Amino acid sequence: MRCDDALVAVSSRADGELSPADGDVLETHLAGCDDCRRFVDDVAWVRSSLRVEPVGRAPDVGPAVVALVRAEPPRRRGRVVVAAAVAAVAGLVAGATYVGIGSEGRSPAAADVPARVLAAQDGITAVDGRYTVSEPQGGGERTFEADLTYRAPESLALRVQETTAGAAPAERSDGALVVDADRWWHDATRECSAAAGLRCPAEPLRWSRSVTGREPFSDDAPVPLELVSPVDGFALSARPPGLGRRTIAGHEALGVSVTAAQVAGLLDGLSAAVELRPVHPTDRVELWLDEDHFVPLALLVRAAGDPERAAWASSVAVDDVPGDVVLRVNATDVRINDPSDPVAAPAAGADEAVDAGFRAAPDGDPVVSEVPEPQRVPAGFAAYRRGVVSTPGGPGVGVRSWSDGRAWFAVRATARWPGGRLFGDLGTDVRPVDLGAAGTGYTSGDGQQVALHTGGLDVVVRGSLPPGDVRDIAADLGIVGQPVPDDWAEATSARESDATATLPGLLTAGPIDGFGPPAFRVAGPGDDVSVTEARSGPGDRAFTLTQWRSASLVPPTGGDEVGTEVRGTTGRYSPQRGELEWVESGLAVSLRSDTLSLTDLLDVARRLKPA
Amino acid sequence: MAGDLAAFEQVVRQHQQSVWRFLRRFLGDAVAAEDVTQETFLRVHRRLPSYRFRSSFTAWVFQIARNAGIDELRARARRDRLPPALATASGGTPTTTGRTGEARVEIDAALATLPVDLREALLLVEVLGLRYTEAASVLSVPVGTVKSRMFRARLRLAAWARAGENEGGGEDAGEAAARTGRARGRGEAGDEV
Repeated sequence: MRCDDALVAVSSRADGELSPADGDVLETHLAGCDDCRRFVDDVAWVRSSLRVEPVGRAPDVGPAVVALVRAEPPRRRGRVVVAAAVAAVAGLVAGATYVGIGSEGRSPAAADVPARVLAAQDGITAVDGRYTVSEPQGGGERTFEADLTYRAPESLALRVQETTAGAAPAERSDGALVVDADRWWHDATRECSAAAGLRCPAEPLRWSRSVTGREPFSDDAPVPLELVSPVDGFALSARPPGLGRRTIAGHEALGVSVTAAQVAGLLDGLSAAVELRPVHPTDRVELWLDEDHFVPLALLVRAAGDPERAAWASSVAVDDVPGDVVLRVNATDVRINDPSDPVAAPAAGADEAVDAGFRAAPDGDPVVSEVPEPQRVPAGFAAYRRGVVSTPGGPGVGVRSWSDGRAWFAVRATARWPGGRLFGDLGTDVRPVDLGAAGTGYTSGDGQQVALHTGGLDVVVRGSLPPGDVRDIAADLGIVGQPVPDDWAEATSARESDATATLPGLLTAGPIDGFGPPAFRVAGPGDDVSVTEARSGPGDRAFTLTQWRSASLVPPTGGDEVGTEVRGTTGRYSPQRGELEWVESGLAVSLRSDTLSLTDLLDVARRLKPA
Repeated sequence: MAGDLAAFEQVVRQHQQSVWRFLRRFLGDAVAAEDVTQETFLRVHRRLPSYRFRSSFTAWVFQIARNAGIDELRARARRDRLPPALATASGGTPTTTGRTGEARVEIDAALATLPVDLREALLLVEVLGLRYTEAASVLSVPVGTVKSRMFRARLRLAAWARAGENEGGGEDAGEAAARTGRARGRGEAGDEV
């Protein structure tokens, strides 16, 4: 081996990119070459210099980015892909058709759990809970104690203390999240960012952030209401398999088996106060809920076993055996609707203070006055906070909200919407919905938001209520929604002939009994163009059919996908997303509905014909 | 409910640490790194609808971060009305706040002397721990090119450190590297594959 080659080999070996055989040859050379041996030290010096990071952690640009995205000019939003991206993290390979494997087993006892979770939320006014949290890892275990205080509708304190045996006080990571309506305060230990084996400060890094001017029920400085009752996780029509009943901390509990993706809000809520290990969206979760109020009492997360999950685990440096328990939460004492102390107000002073831009305003305020109220507020609901949000570069937005226990809904409106896309944040699975006398509305994929566009006002209704209730409120605002202008992202103005010219071989559903005519939408540039056909039928029945050029499906993201025969090929179906996908004649096809069963979707698929 | 933005914020949280660490070294400036990290995620959000799993998501994010970093270097060069190479070298003044060890200031100054193509390859592999294949996909170059850039980057940094040791550190590192026989001779020999 010549020195030239040896030096390159030293560099490659440092990166683990040299074969063992070449490594042996290199060793022989190094044994007799001082110059090249010196380079081994040089490479080590470069490495240690680069990997020693300054004390402190990367700034958190999340809230700023989200605020800017909200204020940004018109553009299509990528809900599905974002969800996929969260699942992807690293190392997914394109070019294969993935079919998830799962079971469609249902237990009658648990079949109505989603509806009951949504129905029970207005009966929750206070929760005082104490929980143990444990993360088994490498034979040992990190343990925490968590205290939760909740007062309806959006005051909450979550305090977590590490109790890991043998951990010195300085090594413990504790955290607290306190929300008191328009104020939000967060204090947590941050991890040292130096690479493994290098120096970290002896004291854990602590950082606190306070947010004032928080909009009612804002997602930007979230109240982990999912800890109180996992409403969002069950808003869609997934009917989880049941696990039976048991008694937890003196409460009768009902168990259901769900995916980590479904309880993501709940897990995020916990990790808001303390950094927990990551779990994969496909991980199986046994969730136990109080039988009367559906407050979570216990949670057990087990590592899923698919190859994608293994790739993810290695990318985030966790070493899980499929089936292993990776996270366990158990209530030791929970009182529901029996409040003692109020939520302690956030302590003054924080390392970082953020003003989220909401100001309470009286009814007479000109911007608040623009916000239409439902003529009939659902029984039990009372008016809650109202005011004005101003974002830099964005229009002033009026907000009114109502609540009943943990249940809530809010109406946001602005007369100054610049257009280009729907007001609100409805994602890409937007479809028009007929609101009867209230004209045309647009609903998000999860049905928890409905937007209306009128000549002078843009309005969005959002809430923790079942989709039908959100729609009823939107239809009761005394305004008449119009179809959005043709140049808006959600416009469904393309003609069938434009759509079929865009994607030759496009499948269309044709006339279906009881369903209205198709609305077509062509979106995206060049090779990435997609065509969506949206159809609405009787009642809630509606579906969207989206097609784009691709020889394969994207990797599954929900973890609940099951393989299924569709149009003579193997497709996959996600009960959680209500999405049936397959590839046909060079087009990837997604048939999606929150209201049609797999049988219905297969029926629709059978009718499809190339235009 | 605004699930896409909540999910997106999670994406930001998951990747911002690596993106910032990469950019901090790449730009040699913690404050600019924060701005460009923010810009990176705005671009990520804008392009999400066109992300089609042709590469790993992480590689895709780094690709965007690296392009945003290069744009920042160009803008800086325009601002300074200097040729890019000079602007890059002079922009290497460490401006981090907090406790800064000497070694760190030194490595930042050394990094500033590296051409952009060597610097970015080095940081992707050393700071972010990417495999050569992953770095190749971020940079859109063959794997062999990553290998040779890694080698050349290390050689130049080593030569820079040597020059500092021997001559009190006052000298321009690029010149030192060029004069060091080993750096020049071997550096060229290990050129692009």
